[in-house]
Amino acid sequence: MSAASATARISLSSLRAHKRRFAGTFTAVFLGVAFLAGTLVMGDTLRASFDSMFGNASSGTDSVVRSADTITTPGDSQGVRQPVATDLAERISRVPGVAAAEPDIQGSGQLIGSDGKPVGGQGPPTLAGNWIDDPELNPYRLSDGRLPAKSGEVVVNRGAAKAAGLGIGDSTVLRTPEPVRITVVGLATFGGEDGMAQVTFTGMTRADAEKYLTPEPGQAASIQVRAESGTSQRELVDALGPVLPKGTEAITGQESAEENTEMISGQFLGIFTTFLLVFSGIALLVATFSIHNTFAIVVAQRTRENALLRALGAARGQVVAATLAEATVVAVAASAAGLAGGIGIAAGLQALFPAIGFPFPEGDLVISGLSMALPLVVGILVCLGSALLPALRAGRTAPLAALRESAVDQSGASRGRAVAGAVLAAVALGVTLTGVVAVPSVWLAGAGAVLALIAFVILGPVASSRAVRVLGAPLARLRGTTGRLAGRNALRSPKRTAATAGALMIGVAVVSLFTVFGASLKATMDQTVARSFAGDVAVSVPAFGAGGSGLSPELAGVITERPEVAGAVGLGRGVAEVDGAGRELTVTDPQALAEGLDLGAVDGSLGGLGTDGIAVSSAEADKRGLEPGSRTRLAFTDGERESFTVRAVYEQSELAGDYLVTREAWAPHRAQDADNLIAVTFADGVDPADGKAAVEKAAAPYGNPDVQTRDEYAQSSAGGIDMMLTLVYALLALAVLIALLGIANTLTLAVHERTRELGLLRAVGQTRGQLRGMVRWESVLVAAFGTVGGLALGAFLGWVLVAAADGAGDSAFAFALPPARLAIVALVGLAAGALAGWRPARRAGRLDVLRAIATE
Amino acid sequence: MTATDTTLRTAGAARVVDAVKVYGRGDTEVRALDGVSVDFPAGRFTAIMGPSGSGKSTLMHCAAGLDTLTEGAAFIGDTELGTLDDRRLTVLRRDRIGFVFQAFNLLPTLNVAENITLPLDLAGTRGDPEWIEALIDVVGLRDRLHHRPSELSGGQQQRVAVARAFAGRPDVVFADEPTGNLDSRSGEEVLGLLGRAVRDMDRTVVMVTHDPVAAAHADEVVFLADGRLVDRMSAPTADKVLDRMKAFDLAASDGPAPQEVPR
Repeated sequence: MSAASATARISLSSLRAHKRRFAGTFTAVFLGVAFLAGTLVMGDTLRASFDSMFGNASSGTDSVVRSADTITTPGDSQGVRQPVATDLAERISRVPGVAAAEPDIQGSGQLIGSDGKPVGGQGPPTLAGNWIDDPELNPYRLSDGRLPAKSGEVVVNRGAAKAAGLGIGDSTVLRTPEPVRITVVGLATFGGEDGMAQVTFTGMTRADAEKYLTPEPGQAASIQVRAESGTSQRELVDALGPVLPKGTEAITGQESAEENTEMISGQFLGIFTTFLLVFSGIALLVATFSIHNTFAIVVAQRTRENALLRALGAARGQVVAATLAEATVVAVAASAAGLAGGIGIAAGLQALFPAIGFPFPEGDLVISGLSMALPLVVGILVCLGSALLPALRAGRTAPLAALRESAVDQSGASRGRAVAGAVLAAVALGVTLTGVVAVPSVWLAGAGAVLALIAFVILGPVASSRAVRVLGAPLARLRGTTGRLAGRNALRSPKRTAATAGALMIGVAVVSLFTVFGASLKATMDQTVARSFAGDVAVSVPAFGAGGSGLSPELAGVITERPEVAGAVGLGRGVAEVDGAGRELTVTDPQALAEGLDLGAVDGSLGGLGTDGIAVSSAEADKRGLEPGSRTRLAFTDGERESFTVRAVYEQSELAGDYLVTREAWAPHRAQDADNLIAVTFADGVDPADGKAAVEKAAAPYGNPDVQTRDEYAQSSAGGIDMMLTLVYALLALAVLIALLGIANTLTLAVHERTRELGLLRAVGQTRGQLRGMVRWESVLVAAFGTVGGLALGAFLGWVLVAAADGAGDSAFAFALPPARLAIVALVGLAAGALAGWRPARRAGRLDVLRAIATE
Repeated sequence: MTATDTTLRTAGAARVVDAVKVYGRGDTEVRALDGVSVDFPAGRFTAIMGPSGSGKSTLMHCAAGLDTLTEGAAFIGDTELGTLDDRRLTVLRRDRIGFVFQAFNLLPTLNVAENITLPLDLAGTRGDPEWIEALIDVVGLRDRLHHRPSELSGGQQQRVAVARAFAGRPDVVFADEPTGNLDSRSGEEVLGLLGRAVRDMDRTVVMVTHDPVAAAHADEVVFLADGRLVDRMSAPTADKVLDRMKAFDLAASDGPAPQEVPR
């Protein structure tokens, strides 16, 4: 028998003999890999589905003609493109090789559902446009009913109709944002699906589209062109070149489809998969701890066995190889199972998504080589990497150890560890504080935070004895001997306790970090509203997502006419390049704005902006060297360039934005006009409830927008945060689950290790209940250590992030610790600890006393 | 335990009646105890002797409520152990029985004082402080009270176990080869302690041993062979016990070899 096969045989037989010990490791790797593989498969599948959906939908479009220039503002990747003239379509259709050319008029239109509430707006866009008659050029297909023939008739996509509870023949209101009465006459599909994800689309007649979706007739977002058969897309684009006016461009249908896919993939899928990948990374990191721990314990328990092997002539390398071979078998088996699990997850989500109203395109799962190879490699590396140190330790076993009592590693933390940890912690603190206080930088602070995390892990064993003693003190008092024994057991191997708790610590730290960050965002919103919103109620659009079609610019005027209302001012959004850089403009009545919002100190006069004046926030003015009287050049999406004079500089830009222009100044350049917010101030002596009711009544015909008090407005601004937090919690549950499996596994191994001791306890009168309690309380103690450490670390990291962002960014960022939520995190951590101890406790309780005290 | 102190001293502190213990089934069936009846009188030091596989450990385990009989009955005082569920049995062991095992008698996480009072602590009582103080002096561990077991010699550890066994003034203390892992001098100390506890402090001890020298410390020796009670000897000496044991070896070499009893 060769040396290698001997090694393999030893590890295989040892695996068979200790299947249970590796169940935890297997599960940890399995879960991590399954999550990772599931994410990748789902991402690929979604991407492929979108590809084919856009491919199908736009297969008839051979070229798209559109404006060549976009204005891109920070934070908006798409940019705003100026319209093209609709009569260009006529000219194009006369070009040889062109079979058809149709203007595509696009804007936003939000349907009011049968329940009177606006549909969508919290996420994907709510689109409206002209129904393109050429079926080859129209991405939508009529599936039921008929096409709109006269004004007020529309086709909606099937998904939107379902969400709105509308059917053919139903009448409702479309917010464009002017309320338009419409009747649904037909339903449409997009690329064979109910819609393009959750985007809603309302198709109107061309006349209606021009009337409601563009400031003036004759403008379209683009011209869709179809070639005659025999003319390639490229040839078509070349043929169109001569007739295109300056500032317009033609791209092939293929390029357009790719752009659309890229937009969805990049914006939605990219963020979505990155997000999931980060969390599977966290889960795998946590798994690393529990795998390392399992192998460390197993190697310690096997000291005598390994020593015997060494005494009988096994080389050091052979012992290491045997342990690593064991790890490899577990890693490969668990990773392979994880791949299958990942495919299962993706398939499950494909079935689940439609059920919760998210159309996950049908079709086969796309399982690429990469999305299988990557999780497999990562899983194996994580497992082998975690087992490496324990394996090397196994190799160092002295042959003489065979003669000693089987040794559990009870060594505490070494001095070197304490020193290294302390130095690293100091460096981490230094870097962090530099990033927060001295040179505010999120990157520097982030680097410090990562160092702090590593310092925490290194210092874990140093801290664990002290921490367990402190945390265990009340336990001994409350639970008597059971509690005291549990505490002593948790103290036995500081390294092991620290590693076990470390996994949970990381999980809890990330949970706390997000909790603190979310609370800080909310507090910031609260403060913003408290500081900047001077009105009594706000009429607003959803703060999260595309925001629907916005509010009618007429609404502010209508509300002002109510006797209960002293003033109402609407804020709309426009974009322009200010001295060459894309910026958002706030289109409003600047004078009235000072009533509805608190703009802080104003240098200059907001009253006389006129059509060539602009007001600038002080932060932006400082950055760009502007002051009252300076001149600045604005370039609009319609290609016009105008010179504006800065007439006022104001302090608070949180709700108002950085640039204010009057509606008059904006009017020549406007696209589809909409307000995002209307700040309403009541007349003196008006009861707030009456005032609110009056505003609601005035706003009702405009599609029932939300009317909110200041508090409600602040809360709804933060509404998306809770949604994100819920998602984050759900994703982190996996990491916490892996950490708990780690605790359970460690305890099971410890129970096994202490068989005789437990037998002795039972013999001298410890009841089964007391024994179970002892194991469970040990579990709770370890969990408490992890939870407390995690809370502290998470809160610290949260503070670092918030403080660094506050220092580095223009807008103020408030730090908030949510005590109730953090208390819940702590309780969940402790309860989870009790849960993790449940099974090991039961196993310990079933111990056969006699076997345990047997002298052999 | 006051009952046993005040009522009939002749009543056994522990006894088994027609005890049968069978391990395994069919071909692998082993009768570790084959109809043993024996009384362990209160206030006496009884040794159980027999060759390997004679069933002496099984007898002790069953009499002490660590194992259950297949047939027959085991009593501590008037309590029949077979009628008790696991919890009651555990409480009975805790409150009315003391144990000294051959090895691994102490919890490594507890110090000497905590180990001594462990059964009392598990019961949530303080016991009799004077008695415990006296015990600590008798076993001579006053200066070691705050040491961990790993800091003690084997003999010292066994003395702690002895103190623990008597701490709650149990009806009976069972000792399973208490000197098996000790050198002869430490062994003598431990046996001396057990003897003093019986004679000076009026305690009851049942000790399993295969060492004639150890058995000589007892008031009476009962001999087991092949799961049966084969002899009793009062006022034993090491020589007399050794002779008796040699007789077993002869009998064994004549007859069928004694079967090894699995644990």
